Amino acid sequence: MSLGHHHAWLPPGHLRPPDDFHDARSVNGYPKSFSGSRTPQMRASADADGSHAGGLISDADIASDEDPRIAMFRELYKRSEAKINTLFANQKSAEDALRGAVADSDEPQAKDQRADEPAPPPAPPKKPARKLDDDDYDEYDDDDDEDADASPPAKHKALGWSQVPSSFPSPGRPPSGSMSVGPDAQKEAKKETLEDIRKKLEEDKKATEEAARRSFHTLFYTLENDRDAMLDQQRLEESERQVEAEMSGQASAGNTVNPTSNGYGSLSSANLGASSLTLKNLIARIDMKRSLVQASDAELRSLMSEVRKNRSKWASEDKIGQEELYEAAEKVLSELKAMTEHSSAFLTRVNKRDAPDYYTIIKHPMDLGTMTKKLKALQYKSKQEFVDDINLIWSNCFKYNTNPEHFLRKHAMYMKKETEKLVPLIPEIVIRDRAEVEAEERRLQMAELDGAEESDDEPIMSSRGRKAPGKSSSKKGTAPVRNTPSGSEPPGGQASQPPGPVRSESDVVMEGTQNGFATPPPGTQTPSDPAGLGAGIPGSQGDAMEIDGLIPSSTVLSALPASGVESEDPEYKVWKQVTKKDRAVIAAERHRLFKGDKLNSDEPALLRTKAGMRRWLRNQKQISAEGDKARESTSQGMESRGTAETLAEGIEVDEDRVIPDYYDVMSGVPDLPAQLVWQEDSDGNIVDASEEFLRVLPRGSFTQPDSKLARKMDANMRQMQETRKICSKVGIVKQMQLQSQMYQNQFQKYQPEPFVEQDVPAHVMNDGGPVVSPWVCRAALQRSVAKIFYHTGFEEYQPSALDAVTDAASDFFQKIGETLKSYMESPKVPATDSAEATAAAQWKRAYTEPEIVLHTLSSVGIDVESLESYIKDDVERLGTKLSTVHDRLRSLLSELLRPALADGGEDGSSAFHDGSEQFIGGDFAEDIDEDFFGFKELGLDKEFGLATLSVPLHLLQNRMYNAAQAQNTSAAQAVTLFPPPASYPRITSANLSSQIGLVQGFFGSKLQTTNNEPLVEDLELPPKQRPMAARPRLPASGKIPPPSGPSGPTSSPSKRPLPPTAPGQPAAKAGGSEPSKKKLKKNSGVALGAADPAAEGDEAAAGGESSKAAPGKTMTNETSTADANVKGEGEQGAPEGAGVEKHAPTGTGMVNSTSNTTHLNDSAVALPNGTADDAS
Amino acid sequence: MSTDRTPKYRQEIQQMMFVSGETAEPAVDTTTLIEEIVRQQVVEILARSTTLATRRGVRSISTDDLIFLIRHDKAKVSRLKTFLSWKDVRKNVKDSDDKGGADAADFAAADDPIAGGVAAGPQDVASKPKNKRARVGLAWDVNSFYSVQVPEREDEEDEEEEEQNYATLQRLAAADERTKNMTKEEYVFWSECRQASFTYRKSKRFREWAGFGIVTESKPNDDIVDILGFLTFEIVQTLTEEALKVKEREDREKNRRGGAENGESIKKRKRETGLFDPPEEGRTPVEPRHIREAYRKLQATPNKNIAMLLHNGRLPARMPLRLI
Repeated sequence: MSLGHHHAWLPPGHLRPPDDFHDARSVNGYPKSFSGSRTPQMRASADADGSHAGGLISDADIASDEDPRIAMFRELYKRSEAKINTLFANQKSAEDALRGAVADSDEPQAKDQRADEPAPPPAPPKKPARKLDDDDYDEYDDDDDEDADASPPAKHKALGWSQVPSSFPSPGRPPSGSMSVGPDAQKEAKKETLEDIRKKLEEDKKATEEAARRSFHTLFYTLENDRDAMLDQQRLEESERQVEAEMSGQASAGNTVNPTSNGYGSLSSANLGASSLTLKNLIARIDMKRSLVQASDAELRSLMSEVRKNRSKWASEDKIGQEELYEAAEKVLSELKAMTEHSSAFLTRVNKRDAPDYYTIIKHPMDLGTMTKKLKALQYKSKQEFVDDINLIWSNCFKYNTNPEHFLRKHAMYMKKETEKLVPLIPEIVIRDRAEVEAEERRLQMAELDGAEESDDEPIMSSRGRKAPGKSSSKKGTAPVRNTPSGSEPPGGQASQPPGPVRSESDVVMEGTQNGFATPPPGTQTPSDPAGLGAGIPGSQGDAMEIDGLIPSSTVLSALPASGVESEDPEYKVWKQVTKKDRAVIAAERHRLFKGDKLNSDEPALLRTKAGMRRWLRNQKQISAEGDKARESTSQGMESRGTAETLAEGIEVDEDRVIPDYYDVMSGVPDLPAQLVWQEDSDGNIVDASEEFLRVLPRGSFTQPDSKLARKMDANMRQMQETRKICSKVGIVKQMQLQSQMYQNQFQKYQPEPFVEQDVPAHVMNDGGPVVSPWVCRAALQRSVAKIFYHTGFEEYQPSALDAVTDAASDFFQKIGETLKSYMESPKVPATDSAEATAAAQWKRAYTEPEIVLHTLSSVGIDVESLESYIKDDVERLGTKLSTVHDRLRSLLSELLRPALADGGEDGSSAFHDGSEQFIGGDFAEDIDEDFFGFKELGLDKEFGLATLSVPLHLLQNRMYNAAQAQNTSAAQAVTLFPPPASYPRITSANLSSQIGLVQGFFGSKLQTTNNEPLVEDLELPPKQRPMAARPRLPASGKIPPPSGPSGPTSSPSKRPLPPTAPGQPAAKAGGSEPSKKKLKKNSGVALGAADPAAEGDEAAAGGESSKAAPGKTMTNETSTADANVKGEGEQGAPEGAGVEKHAPTGTGMVNSTSNTTHLNDSAVALPNGTADDAS
Repeated sequence: MSTDRTPKYRQEIQQMMFVSGETAEPAVDTTTLIEEIVRQQVVEILARSTTLATRRGVRSISTDDLIFLIRHDKAKVSRLKTFLSWKDVRKNVKDSDDKGGADAADFAAADDPIAGGVAAGPQDVASKPKNKRARVGLAWDVNSFYSVQVPEREDEEDEEEEEQNYATLQRLAAADERTKNMTKEEYVFWSECRQASFTYRKSKRFREWAGFGIVTESKPNDDIVDILGFLTFEIVQTLTEEALKVKEREDREKNRRGGAENGESIKKRKRETGLFDPPEEGRTPVEPRHIREAYRKLQATPNKNIAMLLHNGRLPARMPLRLI
């Protein structure tokens, strides 16, 4: 009974005995006998080792019951003991010198007995056996028994042992066996059930905890109860503090009654409580050489106490049994208090203010706090007192709160149930004063001296008395058994026995009452052990009954709902129960972080702990394991926990809290993404997994996706650019009309580049999802905004304006995004609203995607219509508007360039093609009968078949013409595709003969006039000195005066000098000699062609076409060989003349050809000119 | 707004309302209320356009400022443009003598007499018939995209304008419908009413009424006043139409409820428009509450204006006045 409890409550440092023989022992059920017979023996051995034989005899029976295996152990032990004893034999003899006489007298006695009956021989072996069997606390006692007195018997032990089986008479045995086995079995059974019950209680508790732990993963408990838990806990602590405070005064006095009057007692007799095995040998040794040790007993004892661990605060030198009782009681008490849910009302004394009439009704108030006080003041003498007090609380409550519905009654009921569960855990111990016990022992010893055989050879008993019940009761239980069959035993032994028991009985009486057993009157108990047995059995039975009665409720309670105290969800209750304390602690911690409503900045920072993280990981693992295997999960979890803890070992203390993970938010460890996991290959090199996760950002992430709208907008923008080009040309033309002087680089060419959206360079990303790169995204948005700006008509914009609009746009899109998100995240609704549809309701999104979009649009004030109208009005219609504007501007330009050709097509080019040449020819001149150039008078019209005699007006726009000259000059000088041929040598008298015969005379006469100087060509002269340097002037009448001669050079319009390198020069010269309409046409053509580049810059359809037309006309009429060159090149250029880039080649072609022609013509022209000069 | 102010435009407003579809004689309360609303709107318009002008660095309001304020109402802009162009025509006709190729100067200003004479510039000037209404260009039109003034042609933009004038045409059709059966006297009255204006020939009164000189500079352009006259007419018309709608709905609601409560008889009598039913003119006039409701509706802030305040944005206590 006692041992079982102790095991349940053993402090961690204790070692459990290897096997539970005390349970098997029938005697353990006999507490009354133990303290009686046992303690005296101890004393006896302490004083004088006289009582061996008795002990041997009594123990012999037990040995017979024992396992052969244990017997073997025993023998082994005995052998080693014997060796040790022989080793120490010398000292031993000296030590034992003074008591030699007593020992001697004892020995014969023992031997006599052995001789008499077979029992004695097995006695020695039995001793070690018990040593093995028993609690380690006792072993050192046994040891020094051995050391002290076993040496003499050791000699015959070996012999004796072999006799055991044979020497035991079988006839004698059976009866004793049957006799003893009967009650033994009964007791054993009860013992077993008791043990079982206790174990079961523990296990149930564990199981509920485990269940709760498991339920953490399946249920989420809200935290609202934590506050209550915290408050309860605080109340509990408060009451404990109170008790502490009250006790602190008395405690010192109460605890230190420590009589050290033992003098030279055996050290081992010191109550060292829960000393470890390791000390056993030390103590034995010290005891053996006690005389050599100078220290006093008390000193040694205090030394030992210091060395020894786990000595409980309840341990007391002079109170036997106090430690066990109080330890258990305290545990029960704190357990009860910890049930704060129900216990809070009973924690403190009832306040008179709360219940004024309480103390009139309740005469003996009691509460848990008071009990704690009493416990601390060591006021409880026995379990019974303690239990009575507890029950008093509940009964008080029932008594005061008579209303059956009262909530306190429920609490009390619950607490009572709990109490009933817990009370069996308290050992049945009656605390006794050591002094008293010792006195008893002495008395007993005296008796033993009388009847030495009865005295136990167990010399020293621990004051704790735990061992005692086992031993003494074994004696008690078996002694009668042995006695009854073996009537042949000498009565002396029998007679000597009673005194011990008798005295012990008086103790037993006390104990019995304390234990709550039916207390047998001392008289009945004394001689008849069977009676004692009988009394013991009912007692234990009663106990068992109690516990049996509890079993159902306890098992139910382990699931914990039913007792009906509260009709709560059972799982929830378990949860509350199990986690209360932890929750309270956590809540308090949390509470501490706040000061009022604010965060308390003075609190230490929250830190995650390794232990916490480990626990978290472990739980995660456990959960996943549970996910895999439903049932075995727990065991697996335990295993994994084991490994985890080995990892944790020594790093930090892993206090195991029964609390789900979400209470410990600090310890959460996120999963590692797969690419970051540390992997090693076989060589221990790190496998770089990152490459598998790399991806190239697809192109086009930052450009406008191709769409109809985008294409339209692009087209619009291109249109605008084109139109702007025209605009710039128009501007230039207008400017040229206004300005008298032109500069080469006065006009910047408008050369817009097409819009190209640049994508980001190839980019490698190492995870999925979009690129989070605010600046790039912003730049892309900015570009889009700029595009829209341009599309709206802005040609350029300040960066700040662009920034502002971009910000606004991004804000707006953010709003749209947030709205979209909130619609997307709206809670799902049942898919079908008809109730009958399906029990397993399907859920769908609250909004479909189109709905989401429409809702969002409407909430930002946009509807589909406005979007549509934007596209229709601001994109499509804008496109048409732009194109009409473009057309108009083009026509404006062409009008500007060729004002007279208003109806000659858009650019006037068609005027050349449709055969209506009258405009070019200036038909109106004929209409008004004007002859501007005097062609008629010259008869040229007849000669060349001219239809009209007028010159197009635009030919007279000499400003443009000049500009064209300037432009073309630069162009011609810049690009000389073909180097001009070497000039002809001057005509001198030397090379005159090489000239053709017709002109030799002419040249000869020229040379004569210049005194054989080489003849100078006109073109080599500076312009002013040329023969025709004088510019023809039109008289005020506007009529060209009739020539003085048939070929009057000065009056002819063709005499008009042209700049030497001008492309029009040869034509003009030729025109001088052959003034014709075609010449003029050509001139106009060239002029236009030349003017075009100046006016239009790089591209001019009209100019190109006119330039194409001009050489064409020229060629058709000119028959000179030189013109073939012009023709070829001119025609080459002509068809392509419209192109922008074609212009330059065409121009050079023309220039080159003309320069060629110039040369040829020069020689040709020079002659007529020369002749003309001569003639004039 | 001071309440003791005596209404100055009672008759004009009545006439405008009549033109806008209100057949009965509106009460003084109603017209006063409308007048106040219109005045508030005018003041707002002036204030805002002054701000715009100031931003441009000009002290006086231009027509563009005014049009800019109503730019989102394309139909209204289009009507205004029509109005302005006809006004221009009127003016041009009046002083057609000194209309010359003023704008031809750009093109014809060449110093060379020959070139200048033949240059294309004057062509469109010349081609423009004297009484052809000029188009009112807006700063945000396509034409202003370019540095060069785009020559006009007659054959474009008609379709667009027509579309934008849809509302105007509807109004004209409604007016046509109403005047169909009018006697000569009635029609004269009608056309008189059509001429009602806040500004025409009473620009001094208008200026005082609208608070010129306080809100903006005291000597506004003639055009400005005309545009404001146009806009005020539009305001009254919009308000009246809206109020009529409100009233109609109210009446319908009342009839429905009344029919349900009072039984069949009333309903029956209502249904058949008998000989002795009160004539159309006998209907009850629009009341101030209708106007108020109409005004409230017109002032409702569209979502678009608060889109930027959606998420964790704070709504301002008062939204700016909306121009009708």
